[in-house]
Amino acid sequence: MTDLPLSGIRVVDLSRVFAMPYAGAYLADLGAEVIKVDCCQAQFVDTTRTLNGPYPDNDPGELYWERAGTFQTLNRGKRSVTLDLRSEDAIGILKQLVSVSDIVLENFTPRVMQRFGLDYANLRAVKPDLIMVSNTGYGHSGPWSNFGAMATALEPTHGTGAFMGYLDPGPDGRLHDGGIPNKMGNSYTDFLASWTAQLAVIASLIHRSRTGKGMWVDLAMYQVGSSFIGEGILDFAFNGRRTRRMGNRDHTMSPHGCYPCLGQDEWVTIAVRDDRDWEAFCQALGQPSLAGDSRFAHPTARHGHQDELDEIISRWTSTQSQYQVMEALQSAGIPAGPVLNAKALLADPQYRARGFFQPADHADETGLGRKEYVGRGWSLSESPINPIRPAPMLGEANDYVLSRMLGLNDEEIQRLKDAGTVGDTLADAQTPSIVPLERQVELGWISGYDEL
Amino acid sequence: MTPLGLLDGIRVLDLGTEVSGPFCAKLLADYGADVIKVELPGVGDPARRMGPFADDDPHPEKSIPFLYINTNKRGVTLDTRNPTGRGLLEALLQTADVLVENVPPAHAEDLGLDYAGLTRNNPGLVVTSITAFGQSGPYRDYSATDLVNCAFSGLMYHTGDSDREPLRNSLNQSLYVAGINAAVATSAALLHRMATGRGQHVDVSAVECLAAHLVQPVPYYTYMGAIKGRRPVRGSGFEELMPARDGYVIPSVQGSQPWSAIAGLIGLEELHDQRFATGSGRIEHGEELKQLLIQGLAEWDRKPLFEASGESRLVFGMAQDAGDLFNCPQLRERDFFVEVDHPVAGRAEYPGMGPRLSGGVYEIRRPAPLLGQHNTEVYRDELGYSSQDLVVLTASGVI
Repeated sequence: MTDLPLSGIRVVDLSRVFAMPYAGAYLADLGAEVIKVDCCQAQFVDTTRTLNGPYPDNDPGELYWERAGTFQTLNRGKRSVTLDLRSEDAIGILKQLVSVSDIVLENFTPRVMQRFGLDYANLRAVKPDLIMVSNTGYGHSGPWSNFGAMATALEPTHGTGAFMGYLDPGPDGRLHDGGIPNKMGNSYTDFLASWTAQLAVIASLIHRSRTGKGMWVDLAMYQVGSSFIGEGILDFAFNGRRTRRMGNRDHTMSPHGCYPCLGQDEWVTIAVRDDRDWEAFCQALGQPSLAGDSRFAHPTARHGHQDELDEIISRWTSTQSQYQVMEALQSAGIPAGPVLNAKALLADPQYRARGFFQPADHADETGLGRKEYVGRGWSLSESPINPIRPAPMLGEANDYVLSRMLGLNDEEIQRLKDAGTVGDTLADAQTPSIVPLERQVELGWISGYDEL
Repeated sequence: MTPLGLLDGIRVLDLGTEVSGPFCAKLLADYGADVIKVELPGVGDPARRMGPFADDDPHPEKSIPFLYINTNKRGVTLDTRNPTGRGLLEALLQTADVLVENVPPAHAEDLGLDYAGLTRNNPGLVVTSITAFGQSGPYRDYSATDLVNCAFSGLMYHTGDSDREPLRNSLNQSLYVAGINAAVATSAALLHRMATGRGQHVDVSAVECLAAHLVQPVPYYTYMGAIKGRRPVRGSGFEELMPARDGYVIPSVQGSQPWSAIAGLIGLEELHDQRFATGSGRIEHGEELKQLLIQGLAEWDRKPLFEASGESRLVFGMAQDAGDLFNCPQLRERDFFVEVDHPVAGRAEYPGMGPRLSGGVYEIRRPAPLLGQHNTEVYRDELGYSSQDLVVLTASGVI
């Protein structure tokens, strides 16, 4: 614990949902003490505790707010203190907490933080070298600054849909760039914001340790998302090009696509980079004569005959498993890989060998037992990160924070508990409604399920 | 305002190629680090041959991806395989805090870029290695491109329509995501070094960086055995791209407003039907609701609907293209675009930095470097080689 990059750093995590909570989890992974400011009023609690699930065996159980798998992933390794921010006492306590912390993460709309008196100017007054990330949809300035946002609707707004979409058949019978935008999904923008916040925080810590100065990070998810498709925007600046929707094709490599394999919804991706790859590919396909076919003899010829290529390749891949195709092509040095779903990811030997998925043992009351979670895409040779710790139970650190850290006496703490400002169960809670897995298949929310 | 110099005085050698390594180094440069891009003499970063190009002219100084992800860097050329070149690299390493590379592990040793070799004389160096699969495991030496990364990460399985093949984004997203994760881990390693004086090896896997996005599909399986798929083509149409009069919008029921606010915004009387007022009702009557939604949205253009939703505290989205973003008043108001004058590609407004920081204003201090543009400045003026040395090094192909 002593040798991690963020050892000794304390984070107050006021954030909700995906992007900033996940940033807080990574800061915890890196050794920071991250205190999640939870609350025990169902109406205001982080909705990943209550709405997102998934629950073990699709059963929320009595303590459902401790049992949601997405919440557990996003809040691993944190402590939890509950505060009802509508009370002045709570605001005072929060400010005390900030005064002995280094970093604040929050994602309220600008007007909410101002109403609470918790904006950067106010918090800096209690902690002059504070580093604070304010994550919003559109930023704290500009005509859209008070618009709320959710990643799912924000994503096409920052332009990903201009660069993804299926090909459309043209009047000539061939496939052309598509007119209909598509989506990354998976709350893509949340993660871009999360990585961006982590970098800003750590760079600010480096800056603070050299200058003694704090930092306010006005993180607009819309603007962050736009920066990740910057090359597309710059293409407009230079060439006036607005969209590029080419299915799974590439503008130089061909063949380049996603092909059906044996088995339900099994696919493999293949990218032939150059003539060397192409020759090796024809060998691997068992059709060496293709290499001499003038339609495919060089990159421009192949690029002009992709419909034909895709048909030939699909015939070949359809008779094999996705891993068979990968092995056959990778052993010939050609980029190829299966389209994995979560079940396949969890079983894949590469992820297993690298220990990407990490188990955590949960408290008995939760009934979760041991569960595996996604890890990080990087490792540090000299600061090995500790095993993932579970997300905190609601208010589990109330006494630690209020008494040990802030020095409140028993009487004061009891008064806060009596007033419902702090607590460790969710008041006015309604058990989340559950859609049975068979019904979820019918609705297309999941593509299938296994009995675990 | 002062420039954004959070990483002032930190020197980064960018030996990366294409997108992942160079994007990592660009982010560090955007935060103020002194980044020297090191390219192979004569050939340069293969990204110089990645399209599209400025004016659609395939010139090695006009690749748009290259221009975008190499701003704020200086550029030198160096053949690290050559013994003399190795000497120059050692001299550069003496001045450096970080080296970023994204060479396949098997080639790193050939190029003298393996961790042991790089740190022999530079124990404080942070070496950041970015590859598709990482530095270990059975697929360590497999080849990959962005497409393969997206597939193998699991992200692509969940992207696109459930009745069609999985789909990826055409803008190398796996490599950008790997690049920013690498910048996070690299700056963490720098912080660690400030406390301990020790460098370290940062091992970044692009597929794992993307797999870390799967905070829903993975627990769906580990908690209840369910396999999340691509977005259903069935359902009510909310949270999906739906046609409006001049393009596509995303109507959303998320946020804290009641159904009546959503129905009122779209403005179709039939939507006020109580059957649609609850989540379960919208599931039950999904197909009927979708038809009404299509009817209602047909009366709207994207932007007025989006702005009206924001004013009503709803969270609708709209599909914007590169031109919409370039001309977006919100991005303009926040000074997102920065004018850059490049000696070959010419003048253009470049997208800037995602976040805004109180510590200073974001600047593009210099355009992407021309191939070998700063050889004299770095090798002669900073490392002390003579002009005559440079002539010989150039003639022998070392730089």
